[in-house]
Amino acid sequence: MKTQCIIAFLALAMFAGCATSGKTFYWGEYSSTLYDLKKNPDEKTLEAHKKTLLLIMEESGKREKQVPPGVYAEYGYILLRSGNEADGMEFLDKETSLYPESAIFIQRIKSEYARRIK
Amino acid sequence: MKSSRFVIPWILFLSLGGCAPSHITKEEFAPEMYTEKPVSILVLPPINKTTAADAKEYYATTVAEPLTNSGYYVYPMEVVYDILQQEGLFDTETMMNVPPQKFGEYFGADAVLYVTLLEWNTHYFLTSGNVTVKAACELRSTHTGNLIWFYDEAVEVSTTGDTGGAGGIAGLLVQAITTAVKTATQSYIPVARDASAKIFLAMPFGKYHKQFGQDRKSQVEKKENPTQQEKAK
Repeated sequence: MKTQCIIAFLALAMFAGCATSGKTFYWGEYSSTLYDLKKNPDEKTLEAHKKTLLLIMEESGKREKQVPPGVYAEYGYILLRSGNEADGMEFLDKETSLYPESAIFIQRIKSEYARRIK
Repeated sequence: MKSSRFVIPWILFLSLGGCAPSHITKEEFAPEMYTEKPVSILVLPPINKTTAADAKEYYATTVAEPLTNSGYYVYPMEVVYDILQQEGLFDTETMMNVPPQKFGEYFGADAVLYVTLLEWNTHYFLTSGNVTVKAACELRSTHTGNLIWFYDEAVEVSTTGDTGGAGGIAGLLVQAITTAVKTATQSYIPVARDASAKIFLAMPFGKYHKQFGQDRKSQVEKKENPTQQEKAK
């Protein structure tokens, strides 16, 4: 009985060594709704993906995690494309304050947008 | 008692074997990752070397999650692709000729990730089948242009059906049908996600990972350098 316990314990310990610890970020259904959007790009799949992005922001807060890289930027970009400039810009700025390494990229999005609406 | 003495080392050996077939530490495998410490990674659209035309767009959806979870800032790919398209640079084949340094200037990225899809296949023959996804990644520094990390992984999921308990010819017939159904309905996406997860877990962890800088001695599977393989051909 004792040896059985030891064996079980050792096996468990080894597996635990292989397993990964808690994830750095919370991504929710991101990969699924993005896949659906790629497969059938329409209003419905775009709405579902926007919903996922908003849910990631909400859930990250609840789980005391940082919003994952690119989520604010992607959401802001979708808003810009749909003509919601004020909110779009706000989300782009959120990306830069959370991740300063995104500054050049966000500036690139803004200047592309400015060029397009001219 | 005698038999369990034999069993314990055997279990230990097996579980170790399950973790990593041939070992090397992350630091020995990719020393420049620890000296350069890239923070932000630009993922280019995958190069598709498979016959499935839509594979590259679909595979791309599986990259951001595991790559950020390994601690990196990853530029949102949808937005990046749009911008690249506006610049007339959508195919990675064309982008391969752009020096990595340019992507550093243009997006502010520390490194560029080139993904190559090598397999996106269904193998199917009467009573047995499987779905395979194989991808290879190369990370280049935008500061030096050097290859600073690479990895590849193949994931295969069996779609072989069961006989439903029937024996002989009847059992084979049932198996042929269940295999056909399982093979036809198996989605590539979970297989692709699994491949991405394995690839980026083997990467030295970045700034946003809680083990950043502390995983030098972690063991990873030793892979062949794809650039040297190309040269040898």
